[in-house]
This record gives sequence, structure tokens and C-alpha cells, in this order.
Amino acid sequence: MLDTASPKTPLIQMTDIDKQFGGVHAVQGVSVDLYPSEVVGVLGHNGAGKSCLMRMLSGAMTLSGGQISVNGEDVDLKSPQDAKKYGIETIYQTLALANHLDAAANLFLGRELKTRFGNLDEGRMYTETQEALRQLNPNFKNLKDPVSKLSGGQRQVIAIARAIYFQAKVLIMDEPTAALGPSETAMVADLTIRLKNEGIGIFLISHDMHDVFDLCDRVIVMNKGRNVGAFRIEDVNKDDILSLIIKGTLPDDWTPRGQAV
Amino acid sequence: MAGNDGKSKLSFLPTGSKLHKISALLTLLLLILAFSFTSTAFLTVNNGLTVLLQTSVIGLLAIGMTMVIITGGIDLSVGSVLALAGVAAGLVIKAGVPVIPAMALGIMAGAACGFVNGLVITKMRITPFVATLGMMMIARGIALQLTGAAPISRLGEAFGTLGNGTFFRVVEMQDNGFPKVIFAGIPYPAVLLIIMAIIGAFLLQKRQIGRHIFSVGSNEEAARLSGVNVDRTKIWAYTASGALAGLAGMVLMSRLVTVQPNEGVMYELDAIAASVIGGASLMGGVGSISGSMIGSFIIGVLRNGLNMAGTSAFIQQIIIGIVVIGAVYIDQFRNKK
Ligand SMILES: Nc1ncnc2c1ncn2[C@@H]1O[C@H](COP(=O)(O)OP(=O)(O)O)[C@@H](O)[C@H]1O
Ligand SMILES: [Mg+2]
Repeated sequence: MLDTASPKTPLIQMTDIDKQFGGVHAVQGVSVDLYPSEVVGVLGHNGAGKSCLMRMLSGAMTLSGGQISVNGEDVDLKSPQDAKKYGIETIYQTLALANHLDAAANLFLGRELKTRFGNLDEGRMYTETQEALRQLNPNFKNLKDPVSKLSGGQRQVIAIARAIYFQAKVLIMDEPTAALGPSETAMVADLTIRLKNEGIGIFLISHDMHDVFDLCDRVIVMNKGRNVGAFRIEDVNKDDILSLIIKGTLPDDWTPRGQAV
Repeated sequence: MAGNDGKSKLSFLPTGSKLHKISALLTLLLLILAFSFTSTAFLTVNNGLTVLLQTSVIGLLAIGMTMVIITGGIDLSVGSVLALAGVAAGLVIKAGVPVIPAMALGIMAGAACGFVNGLVITKMRITPFVATLGMMMIARGIALQLTGAAPISRLGEAFGTLGNGTFFRVVEMQDNGFPKVIFAGIPYPAVLLIIMAIIGAFLLQKRQIGRHIFSVGSNEEAARLSGVNVDRTKIWAYTASGALAGLAGMVLMSRLVTVQPNEGVMYELDAIAASVIGGASLMGGVGSISGSMIGSFIIGVLRNGLNMAGTSAFIQQIIIGIVVIGAVYIDQFRNKK
């Protein structure tokens, strides 16, 4: 179905991934890979298992079965720190921000900058945060407010800035534009393309078909925890994808839309 | 957004925890003012030093309690741990160990109790309330068992130094041959409290561990996903609380120059009250050492002032209870916004 005769080893190879919560089978036998300079869309209904699949790659959730390898090497991602060591950064659907802390404290949480004496280097964290946020939203103010006081869009910008600040090799974006306005959404699209051109591999979870077709090189569609289709974006159209998302199957008359290269 | 407009209009007003701290400070000043009318002896240097001394034990407990409360937890064991630490020190002194290493051992016993609290909470996944309630009974039980519930006395003069010593004491010999105390001196416990409060505030505000303590209480899952070692952070906070309870035990027993295994009952409630009055939120993520020190002094001044005004111990309890509820009411009011 999929022609990935790429000469390189994949950045990420997830094979036969399973996740169970008691009786709930959230992810069943899903395999997916990701190459450098590539955007792979992960699509599906709410509850299809997209976030679970990605959280296992983030080290935020343990696997019930299957194998993850990074650059061809099998890895055991026990914690988010493990994943970050491999350059896997995540924008969580929940944003994962500490509400009582300000933007800088959140951006550097767990990776605080310190002075020579090991104290928090508030000044440097503040200027770095200002710089990082400005790239996404030139009008970002309220840097010293606790993030609970900020709008949904501003909070999302902080979560995005945190993921890209630390030189990710693999970026997981779980519905990164859900709370953003049109101009910020466009900025995130530009950013995605820029990061892709820098050689970063990106998993993008989105419900916005426009974004999916603009940004993704490939897509996988999940339905009830299973991978029901993996395609190059040229081979499918919007109706094909909606059919997969809703019914879990392609339209009866489907043939690959794109030209075989 | 409407909320943002409102905020910018009101931005000259202090918000959230700052507002709480200012109102606590005002309360303290009002109390001092009121008591100086009810008793002429209240607003004197010597009585001020007495309040300092009396507040130091609860203040030390409140420093650790505040850290624990900021993580979103609670430590009900500090009163018992204080007694157990005193018993540990007293017993080894009786066995011939010098005072300073014996006190260090007492503090370590407190830290060990706190460490066990942390382990039970993080590894056995027992809620802080239940885990430290258990430790409250266990530590008290050990202290009573080891001593047969009897005080340990005749511990030597050196044992009393920490609790009774002072800096800058001025004594003048009078013509009749009797000494006259001109300045009672700053009690060691008060100096110790100030030092520990500064260290505590520094750790919370300027060090990574403090940042992590706030993040864990604010959003534990977010802290974990950001790479904060949540278990380690909690264990650290409970261990610090235990060590400070041990230190408070040394101060209190030294002041009595006797180890009392029954001492410190309900002190945890005073420490919690001090933290909450000072603006710490039992929901986690909010609190400060400076606020908790103000809270400790509010309780200390209330006790002292009511004593001097001749109020019974029972009425004192009623009043402090009302103050605690009032403070939590303000806390809720703040969280709703
Ligand atoms: N921590 C959890 N415990 C139990 N069930 C969960 C948990 N996280 C997700 N699930 C379940 O797993 C399924 C997939 O969820 P999720 O991956 O969040 O879906 P998606 O991101 O595609 O909307 C859902 O049925 C959800 O209820
Ligand atoms: Mg999801």
C-alpha cells in the first residue's frame, strides 16, 4: 500500500503497538514510521486512540505491547525524560502547563537554566522565553502572569514554544491549533513547514482537513484503536479520508488517486 | 477577552497571594495594636522577645508544612515527629553521646520519619492525609514506648543552651549585689527561625527544587510530562518537613531542658493554620514562607496577647479556630476568581 523505499533508516519506527486500560483496547497493533523532513498526519475520530499512540512515543504512557525504535535502535521510553533525550518533543493536547507558574517557568520546567551557583537564572529564562514566544506571536505580553490568567491561544503558544525551543528531532503535535485564531494557526503552519525543512520529523494530529492536505506528506487513519489506512497524501482526497475516519474503510470504488511515481 | 480587560483596569491592585499576604500582615498589626490597649505589658521589648521565642517552634514547623502544602499535600505527623526526635536525642545523651551530635541525630530521626512519609505517599500511592496520619500515630507510639511515657530529665546544662541561650544579653550588677537584666537578649530559637525561614524561602524561590515543588502542586501531570521527577520532589518536601520537625523538637525540649514524649500534640494543626493564614492553598501550587511566618506570628501573638489579657485557654482555642476558618474562607474566595 505504501511505497517507502527511502534509503535512510526511519527516525521513528513504531511496530505493532498495543495499549490496554483494563478492558478498553485504546490502541491495537498499530505500526507507523517517520522519516526526517517529513510530516505524518495521524487522523481519526475522538477516542480513536491517536493521543494514546503519541503519548507512548512521548514516554508519557507505557506500552502494553509492541516496539519503538529511534534511528533504527530499539528503545524503552520509560519517562518523558527518556523521550526528550532522543530529541522527541511533544505538544500535548492538554498543553501540560502548570497554571500557577508564568510563561518562562513553564517553558523551562524540568530543564531550568541555572547560574554558576546553581540558582535559577530567571533573567536568562525570561529573555529566552520572550524571544521564543515572539517567533510565534509578536504581540505576546503578560510574560510574568501565571498562565492561568492567559487566553487559550496564548497558552497554546507557550506549549508550542516549549516543544520547539529544545532543538527537537521529532516533534509530536497533538491538535496544536485547537485554541488558536486564524493568524496564529497560519503561523503554526509556517512553523511546521520551516521545521520540516530543517530536517525535523513531525507527527501532526489535526481535525482540520485543510491543514492536513497542506502540511502532511503522509497520513495514517485510526479507527477504534486500529490503523485502518496509511497513504501518501497524493493518493487520497478528503472524501477518502472522511470515509476512513467514520466507517474505517475506503469508498468501494477507491483506487490510488496520485500517479505512481 | 472580558476577563483581560477587567484585569488591566485593576492591575494597580495587588492580586492573589500578594493581596492575601498584605491582609495577613494587616491582621497581625491590628492584633498587636489591640493587645497593646488590653495590656500595658504587651508592647514591651521583653514581651516581644517572649513572643519570638514562643513562635519559633510553630514557625519552624510551618516552614516545612508550607513546602508540603505547596506540593498539594499535608503533613499531620510533625507534632509526633517532634516528640520522637526529642526522645531520640534524649536517649542517646543518656547513653553518653555529647549534646551536639545527639541533637543532630534527633534532627536526622525527624528527617527519616519524613522520608518514610514521602516513600509511603509516592511509592505505595497512599494519600498524604492517611500516610501522615499513620506516621503521627507511629511516631508518637514509638516515643511513648521508648520512654515508658515518662519524661527524660537531668540531661545536663548544655542541652538547655539551644532553647534558652540568647545573643546580646545585657546584665548590670547592682550595688546590692544582685544582677539586673537590662536587655533579655535575642533568643537563639528566634535567630534559628529567621535563618531557617531565609533558607526555606531561598530554596522555594531561587532553586530548582522550589520551582519543582510549585509545579507539582500546580499540575502534577504537567510537571511529570515536562520532565520533573515528581516522586523525588515530594519525597524531598516531606523529608524537609520531618527534619524541621526534628529541629523544632530540639528547640522545644532544650527549652524545657527535659524530653517530654507527650509534647507537641496538635502542633501540626497550628503549623497548618499558620501556613493557611499566610496564604498557602491546600489545593497546592500556592504559598510562601514569608506568608507562613506572618501566619505563625498571628497565632503566636494571639496566644500571648490573650494570655496576658487573662483569657482562658479554652477561649483561645475558640478564637484561633475562628481565625483559621476566616483565613480559609479568604482562600476559597481567592481561588474562585
Ligand atoms: N488514562 C486513560 N485511562 C483509561 N482510558 C483511557 C486513558 N486515556 C485514554 N483512554 C481511552 O482510550 C481511548 C483512546 O483515547 P485517545 O487516545 O485520547 O483518543 P484520541 O486522541 O484519538 O481522541 C478512549 O476510549 C479513551 O477513553
Ligand atoms: Mg486526543
